[in-house]
Amino acid sequence: MATGAPPASNPQSGPESEARPVRPRRTGRRVAVVVVAVVAVAWSASGLGVGLDRLARAPGDAWAVFRQMVPPAFDEAMDRGVPAKVLESVHIAWIGTLIGAVLSFPLAFLAATNVAPRVVRAPVRQLFNVIRAVPELILAVILIPVTGLGPWAGALAIGIHSVGTLGKWATEAIEGVDGGPLEAVAATGGRWVSGMRWGVLPQVLPVVTSHWLFRFEINVRASAVLGMIGAGGVGAELVSQLVFRNFAAAGAVLLMTIVVVLAIDTASAAVRRRIIRGAAARGDDDQDRNAAVLADLTGLGRPGPA
Amino acid sequence: MTGPGRPVRPRARPRTWAIAAAVVAYTVVAGRTVGFDLSTFWTVWSNPLWEKFWPIPWDWVLDRHNVIDPLVETFQIAIVSTLVGCTVALPVAFAMSPLTSPNRVVLVASRSVMNVVRAVPDLFWAKLLVTAVGIGAFAGSWALSVFSLAVMVKLFSETVDGADPRPLEAARAAGGRHVPVVRTGVLPTVLPEYVAYGLYVFELNIRASVVLGLVGAGGIGRVVEAQRQYFRFDRVLGVLVLVFVVVFVIEQVSVAIRKRLV
Repeated sequence: MATGAPPASNPQSGPESEARPVRPRRTGRRVAVVVVAVVAVAWSASGLGVGLDRLARAPGDAWAVFRQMVPPAFDEAMDRGVPAKVLESVHIAWIGTLIGAVLSFPLAFLAATNVAPRVVRAPVRQLFNVIRAVPELILAVILIPVTGLGPWAGALAIGIHSVGTLGKWATEAIEGVDGGPLEAVAATGGRWVSGMRWGVLPQVLPVVTSHWLFRFEINVRASAVLGMIGAGGVGAELVSQLVFRNFAAAGAVLLMTIVVVLAIDTASAAVRRRIIRGAAARGDDDQDRNAAVLADLTGLGRPGPA
Repeated sequence: MTGPGRPVRPRARPRTWAIAAAVVAYTVVAGRTVGFDLSTFWTVWSNPLWEKFWPIPWDWVLDRHNVIDPLVETFQIAIVSTLVGCTVALPVAFAMSPLTSPNRVVLVASRSVMNVVRAVPDLFWAKLLVTAVGIGAFAGSWALSVFSLAVMVKLFSETVDGADPRPLEAARAAGGRHVPVVRTGVLPTVLPEYVAYGLYVFELNIRASVVLGLVGAGGIGRVVEAQRQYFRFDRVLGVLVLVFVVVFVIEQVSVAIRKRLV
């Protein structure tokens, strides 16, 4: 994360300016921005048709549900095989990530500025952009009629969506390689493929592997959600408990999901750190990727702001 | 290089092989559970059902009542929840950074609560709130507010961590109380990032609000879900294409503004 930029109103501390600096005023612009924001929010809030009474009642309703979730009914959840469902979500995420990795990695070589010709690059990059823009849930909605309900639809949706982000990250990794080994391969008369295999692959493999793991973490959350529309995993279980207003069991499902998500996050982050540190640590690690994690929490965002 | 002669190629240690074997074994198990089979790629691709997605009924899709109104509702949800989420996030983010937290208890408590909130996927929140306060846009905007809060707090508290501590020290040395110290010492330096992240969260919310309706939390997803249940996949595809275009345009505008800010 970038450190805070110096304030825009920093005084010009020249030798001749002894007096207190004048505070810059941009009243007109400020008022305009505030007016636009207020109008937008007022319009939105009125459109949602939420009365004050409903607003006032809502916290009470939410609290009532929450109170019934504690203590969670673990026995019942066990009987219904919830742990197996949570694991199924993890399996879906894993297979989806692998599909994404296998499809995206070769494509990334065709998208990188330093190793691919412009004609090939542009379409592949556009493909990554388009795929990234379509959330897994939407992909699953389209795929389910064709694949049928079940984990396979989820794995496929996650796999396709992952191609977008994984491809983009891998492209960036390839563009960041040291050109020396590539040149060496070219100097000995090696073909393009040899250059990729011996000049680029060894350099990018650690970084790219850590991206895969990172995407896996995101995909675990995504696959839990996918179950809600019938693409396999815990989501369906949560929905059915909530529909039958069996809040204690829903609480247990929720808690098990949270524990598994956090455990996988922690384990995967540790492995990623080990991989990156083991291979001549590059600058980008957790810090830079954090924005991307959050952006991608739902699989809906794009990696990193701007 | 230690001496003449070709360098010895390092060999993989047994542990490496063991890890590789474990990963492969897990992949096989996971693949079985999921029902992975290379031939399914072909069966999916050649399924005659794909024809039901075509042609897109544009008359229906561009109808005000069918699609445009719910789409507008989607954006209203996104706007309200961005505002609510980001407003609440401001004090919480300050509480979460060691630089500006009033004390250790608040620091640890706010951090752990936000970690748990973040571990719950956004549609889980939506479904929970739909159950608690009823189907519709209200539950959706609430769920999305929670989601915005979680994302915003994480991004922004990291910015606060990296803020210049010197103005803060100066304000403290001048004997300021906690809130005014933070307000004058840190807030001005991080405000541009705050606004930029707010816009970024808005982009995320636009995308997220599209799918909220799939679990009954209002917006355009409601239309998608309904048409999906009627097996009108041509309409589903039409709605999705429209949404895709609109979201893309909004995002480009937001990205342009963010670039100017930071």
